[in-house]
Amino acid sequence: MTLIDRLLRRRRIYDDLSSEMQAHLEERIDDLVAQGMSHDDASAAARRAFGNVTRLTEEARDPWQWPMIESFLMDLRFALRQLRRSPAFTTIIVLTLAVGIASTTTVFSWTRTILLDPLPGAGHPERVEALESTTESGRPIGTSWLDFRDYGKYLTSFSGLTATYPTSLAVGDAKQSTLRWGELVSANFFDVLEVRPALGRFFPARLDSVPTPVVVISYDLWKSRFRGEQSAIGTSMEINRYPFTIIGVAPRGFHGSMPGLDLQLWIPATTLGQIVPTGGWMLQDRATRMFRVLARIAPGVDPAVARQEVQRFGALMARANPVESEGVGGVLLPLWRSHLGAQDSLRAPLLVLLGACGLVLLIVCANMANLLLARAMGRRREFGLRLALGAPRRRLVRQLLTETSLLVVAGSALGLVCSVWLAEALPWMIPTFASPTFTAPRFDAGVLMFTGGLAVAVTILAGIAPALHGTSGRVGEALNDGGSRGAVGAGAQVARLRGLLVGGEMALAVVALVGAGLFHASFRQASTVSPGFSANQVAMGSVSLALAGYDSARAYGFMSRVSDNLRQQPGVTAVSYTDYVPMSVSEGSWEPLRVEGYAPQAGESMKVYRAAVGPDFFKTMQIPFVSGREFRIDDDSAHAPVMIVNREFVARFLGGRASIGMKVNGWGRWFTIVGVVENVKNYRLTDPPTPYFYVPMRQVYRPEYGYTFVVRSTLPVDQAAADIRRAVNAVDPTVPVFNTMPLEAYIEVPLRVQQAAAQMLGLLAGVAQFLAAIGLYGVIAYSVAQRTREIGVRIALGARPANVLRVIAAQAGALLAWGLLAGIVASVMLGRVVSAMLFAVSPADITVFASAALTMMLVAVAATSVPALQAIRVDPAITLRDD
Amino acid sequence: MPDSKSRDLFPGALEMMILRLLKQEQMHGYALVQRIQQASNNLLQVEEGSLYPALQRLLKEGLVDAEWGVSATNRRVRIYRLTPAGARHLTRQLSSFARMFQGINLVLEMGDA
Repeated sequence: MTLIDRLLRRRRIYDDLSSEMQAHLEERIDDLVAQGMSHDDASAAARRAFGNVTRLTEEARDPWQWPMIESFLMDLRFALRQLRRSPAFTTIIVLTLAVGIASTTTVFSWTRTILLDPLPGAGHPERVEALESTTESGRPIGTSWLDFRDYGKYLTSFSGLTATYPTSLAVGDAKQSTLRWGELVSANFFDVLEVRPALGRFFPARLDSVPTPVVVISYDLWKSRFRGEQSAIGTSMEINRYPFTIIGVAPRGFHGSMPGLDLQLWIPATTLGQIVPTGGWMLQDRATRMFRVLARIAPGVDPAVARQEVQRFGALMARANPVESEGVGGVLLPLWRSHLGAQDSLRAPLLVLLGACGLVLLIVCANMANLLLARAMGRRREFGLRLALGAPRRRLVRQLLTETSLLVVAGSALGLVCSVWLAEALPWMIPTFASPTFTAPRFDAGVLMFTGGLAVAVTILAGIAPALHGTSGRVGEALNDGGSRGAVGAGAQVARLRGLLVGGEMALAVVALVGAGLFHASFRQASTVSPGFSANQVAMGSVSLALAGYDSARAYGFMSRVSDNLRQQPGVTAVSYTDYVPMSVSEGSWEPLRVEGYAPQAGESMKVYRAAVGPDFFKTMQIPFVSGREFRIDDDSAHAPVMIVNREFVARFLGGRASIGMKVNGWGRWFTIVGVVENVKNYRLTDPPTPYFYVPMRQVYRPEYGYTFVVRSTLPVDQAAADIRRAVNAVDPTVPVFNTMPLEAYIEVPLRVQQAAAQMLGLLAGVAQFLAAIGLYGVIAYSVAQRTREIGVRIALGARPANVLRVIAAQAGALLAWGLLAGIVASVMLGRVVSAMLFAVSPADITVFASAALTMMLVAVAATSVPALQAIRVDPAITLRDD
Repeated sequence: MPDSKSRDLFPGALEMMILRLLKQEQMHGYALVQRIQQASNNLLQVEEGSLYPALQRLLKEGLVDAEWGVSATNRRVRIYRLTPAGARHLTRQLSSFARMFQGINLVLEMGDA
């Protein structure tokens, strides 16, 4: 039977019922009239004997109702009416809920994109983990092509291993090229990730031994650049000025192997020789650890077993290749814990934010429970009446829960809409220049289920207690003592519960404040650390010579001509270039060194990080010299190799002696130290002083990572950045320029995540304070309203405003005290969890805790003052007459 | 006791009486009320209207069925009839009620001596 049939049939049943009952009444009236009653009397008597028609009709219809839907719809209508009647209450609950749900859902969608679902489009992604190499100090690094091949050949726990090298690629011809991000991958990349082509085919296995210029493009690129036409397959595409043939299109939704990032091109790793002049050699060098390795654990193999095998085999390979790999190990990690990629710097902030959002959502729940309790107490008279009229309590509870769910659904829907919009803000957490863009977080069934789950949890957390308390208590009680003033027994119990809730809200708000305070303090500490150079008034711009297919001779000429051009621009005071910009998101390159007169201890690493720079680098960056000289233009391959080292290098390897003229061996050559400079923070502001050295770019040419011009100018720095772009284009328009920006903006990137997290935590803490204030205000206002009579009597008996205030202050103070205490205890415990994420701030920082407590107190005073002022204005004449 | 003529029967009592009366003959609601009051010597003051929820429950369960017809007094009324399922149900109910009644009596008439 269709729904319509059922509805029609029921309509007939109801009609029959009413006519039948009507006929009954008429028959009775006729009988009574026949017995000699007047028609009016008979009618009244008949109705009396029959009972309440409305109630009986409802009761008689009951068997035909679909109990769930129907009474739910009724409850819903009633709930809507109730909520419309108190718009302020409804608005506050819906808005606060929306804030809680929106922030939690947003951070969850980010977390999912970056950490939980890092390989969208791949089959069985949970079996794919990251295989990383480690230095002897345990630092995670990439894996060389040769090591990858060995891993792939000998490991038995995996059904496949694939290597990928994410990089920017110049797509286009001599006239115009765009920078796109892609991956150089081993031929089995798509097989290991279990991805099927949307069109064409993927890489055949022989590509790992025979370099073939073929490319697979992303679905989005295919749609935008080739309008989704089949004919795209087989067409040629210039990548780094080398022709590649398109052989396949990746399926929609597949964005490559970098968690959260959107990659668009895949080419065989063996074509590195076509992409980069030194590429062929890089694949043959076991010490060039540039690849990320992803491994699919074979079916039935325990990941723990796979981990052990990787460690064992990593150690074995280090012994087999001692020259390149001494001390290098292998480790297998779940993707979300792996280090190479954006997830590494986002992991901790995301988890902290998720925790903070959960905290705020809890406060929202407590606040909502509090408001609902107050409301339920206010409606005890109504409920008492309904209970007295025979409504089952269960029905009332359901009614109240319906109201709560209605609020929750409204709040969640609003929150979900906001979070779809907020999710776009992810790049604000970590600016994506010099890296691919983020994939947009997906709002699919997973996110909807998460939000739905939150909504159910909120309904239960916030709705159950008010529903039970509101409908408890003996019927007479609620009716007799005026209802709105509340029954004494149940009222006191509810007051206690509300106090508990408000205290809890304040405790959680204190935790949020302390968290935000700690991260703010940490960020402030980190941002006051001097990097050791001056980024102020310096512009930067990167070029990729490798992408333009330059060899070293052309590169030297190009760098000189661009530098000369820049020097002639107005306002420019110094120009140089480097292959590593300090404070980049990666650590740059190192070189194993031998230092004349220094005998390394057993197991000591002699791998030292370095930069290859141009003349005037230290002048441009304003890095002070301890002794010696700057690099010059004639420090080139025709002259003896020279080196500049930092103060820590001297302290560690040269015993702090005068070092000019000392010899250092690297790249198989002996370099003479010509200068010593002060220490500079090269990677992170938080790093301790580390040995570091500089070589002239003209003596060590490594184009694979690109070069960056740095220009110091007295004019606005944006203009200098534009000058770099113009100068490069003037010298060779086919060389792609990227990252033209103030150096200050660039070196902020590592701090940016911290800053964004601190700001967001601050925002959440503000919301938490606001909610706690509402809660406290509600409780105090309610108790003042309840005790108006008592206060009136006190004032009539001579109590002064101060005495009244003291009573109220005592109540608020007690709540505040327990809230503060619980909050501080919880903060101390949570502080331990985040201490590793803090820089130069103790998780028990007294200033942070004190200001959190103080803020909470001020908020509490503000929230209490309104009802307190109302209380002292109570006019005894009016309140006492009330009775 | 003032409420000895309590209108509250135990749950199911009204239904059982309806079924019992319909077993004798089919009739409409008003007639059912009259018969209950007569048969009980007016001891049971059934709220007349409460008959109808009970009848609807029985209809829903398929223990009775109903048809519009014309009464002896020439009124258009809805006449209820016991179904075979209703007859079986009544038999079961009566025997279990008899057992319960017997049990209650035994307790109430416990010898005080």
